[in-house]
Amino acid sequence: MLSFFKKVTEYAKDAVGAANYLAQGLAVTFDHMRRRPITVQYPYEKLIPSERYRGRIHYEFDKCIACEVCVRVCPINLPVVDWVMNKETKKKELRNYSIDFGACIFCGNCVEYCPTNCLSMTEEYELAAFDRHSLNYDNVALGRLPTSVTTDPSVKPLRELAYLPEGCMDPHDIPQDKSRAGKLPLEVLELMNSEDNSNQKDEKENQTVFIKDKSEE
Amino acid sequence: MTVLVASVNSGIDIELSFNEALKNVGVSPEIAHLLWIPFPMGLVLIAAVIGVLVTVWLERKISAAAQQRIGPEYAGALGILQPMADGLKLLTKEDIIPARADGLLFTLGPILVLVPVILSWLIVPFGQSLLISNVGIGIFLWIALSSIQPIGLLMSGYASNNKYSLLGGLRAAAQSISYEIPLALAVLAVVMMSNSLSTVDIVEQQNGLGLLSWNVWRQPVGFVIFWICALAECERLPFDLPEAEEELVAGYQTEYAGMKFALFYLGSYINLVLSALLVSVLYLGGWGFPIPIEWFASWTGQSIDAPLIQIFTASVGIIMTVIKAYLLVFLAILLRWTTPRVRIDQLLDLGWKFLLPISLVNLLVTAALKIAFPIAFGG
Repeated sequence: MLSFFKKVTEYAKDAVGAANYLAQGLAVTFDHMRRRPITVQYPYEKLIPSERYRGRIHYEFDKCIACEVCVRVCPINLPVVDWVMNKETKKKELRNYSIDFGACIFCGNCVEYCPTNCLSMTEEYELAAFDRHSLNYDNVALGRLPTSVTTDPSVKPLRELAYLPEGCMDPHDIPQDKSRAGKLPLEVLELMNSEDNSNQKDEKENQTVFIKDKSEE
Repeated sequence: MTVLVASVNSGIDIELSFNEALKNVGVSPEIAHLLWIPFPMGLVLIAAVIGVLVTVWLERKISAAAQQRIGPEYAGALGILQPMADGLKLLTKEDIIPARADGLLFTLGPILVLVPVILSWLIVPFGQSLLISNVGIGIFLWIALSSIQPIGLLMSGYASNNKYSLLGGLRAAAQSISYEIPLALAVLAVVMMSNSLSTVDIVEQQNGLGLLSWNVWRQPVGFVIFWICALAECERLPFDLPEAEEELVAGYQTEYAGMKFALFYLGSYINLVLSALLVSVLYLGGWGFPIPIEWFASWTGQSIDAPLIQIFTASVGIIMTVIKAYLLVFLAILLRWTTPRVRIDQLLDLGWKFLLPISLVNLLVTAALKIAFPIAFGG
């Protein structure tokens, strides 16, 4: 009999505990109701991609030496480099170059290893197409520059979270000239340079002291 | 079938004046009655559909707010026309019956799901006489009608000739059957306290002292059980196993498109609104204002039978019922984004091993309290 009551109390405790957790969960969801939306109204507003955004690849035909390094470093050997050997000049002659963005994973290896910097990554990410074959970009399509979000008159550019001023969470209605939290790369460089200078000065002073010490001996 | 009468003796009786007017023109009373019937029916149908549109909009907006999104915005002000656009889209879509599906059962399924739900609106009171029909078996009618639904779900699941549909249909049937019992037992405790199955009597009995005499205080356990079971019956999110999109695509709705799908959609939302309305009727004092309107009338020295006061009481009643129901709908939507879906074994465990014994105990305790304190528990 006692064990039965024990069971019942344990059961009741479990139920109360579950109800408690449920109430906590509800409190969390309810609290979210008063927070402002963090979404961007996409076709009308767009986030500005970060500096190292890995978007669609840009390619400069004239810089390419057809070395095929991009093909070798590509995880799936994607770039198609169509060249012929010119027997007279004993040089490679590039005819066509293409990357299929339906298969590309935008890892950026080709850009990283290209010896002549003819490959680069753009901030273009809108690659929807009606036909997957139209995603196979040839050297002409690869050479086009994307429309920048900041210059497109039909789009309101918004800064990403990491680029907002300190203490700011909403990218809407922030003053344009207000810098992001933390130091910009340029400022960091300046700081590093000034630190280097002072360090060098210190070292020089130390050295002179050292020399002085020696001479005194 | 009176639609706007606040008390029995006198007041505004639209049906009576309608019949009188027709009689003066020279129509026999029987035909006048027949001509009257479509009005309350149409009114309730419109009320149900508008209720659904508002609920769909609320669902989308509140979901968006809970997830820090904006939600529908461009269809009308604040996206208020979005559910209308959804409905129109479904209306214009092709009506597909899959090859090798059972055409008759496939068509009958959604109808059998929707019709009982709409029929249940018969017994929802928005005021003393603001309901289509004050049937004596009231709340029992609703329970009986809601047990037709699983047949329709099973039918459409079976007729679709699709494994997901079949699994969804079976789950829906299992869920409805196992949660109907604790639901009925919770209702039974309320019925025992108010000595009547009629929804009007149940609300009347709660409105003696306003807020203090609502059934929640006397039936807190029953209230929780009823709400959980109602969510399960509506296949709302903690219990949406029949359509569990991650595993069953869309359950019994998988093969449905166009208007047939719209019937399911409509049915589930009408059911949600209906459940919320019934919770407010059974436990939250229905149309009753937290402080009884009669008290206001006596304080200001007005007769409760005066036409203006009657219209006022009726509108307050409608507003209170709707507010209570929509607060519950809000809770249901919030629960949707709070709780994860239960597994099928957890669902059946909760139904059979937890809710059923608790509701039985609740019923027995209510019976004991009724004998012990007949004043407080409706002797």
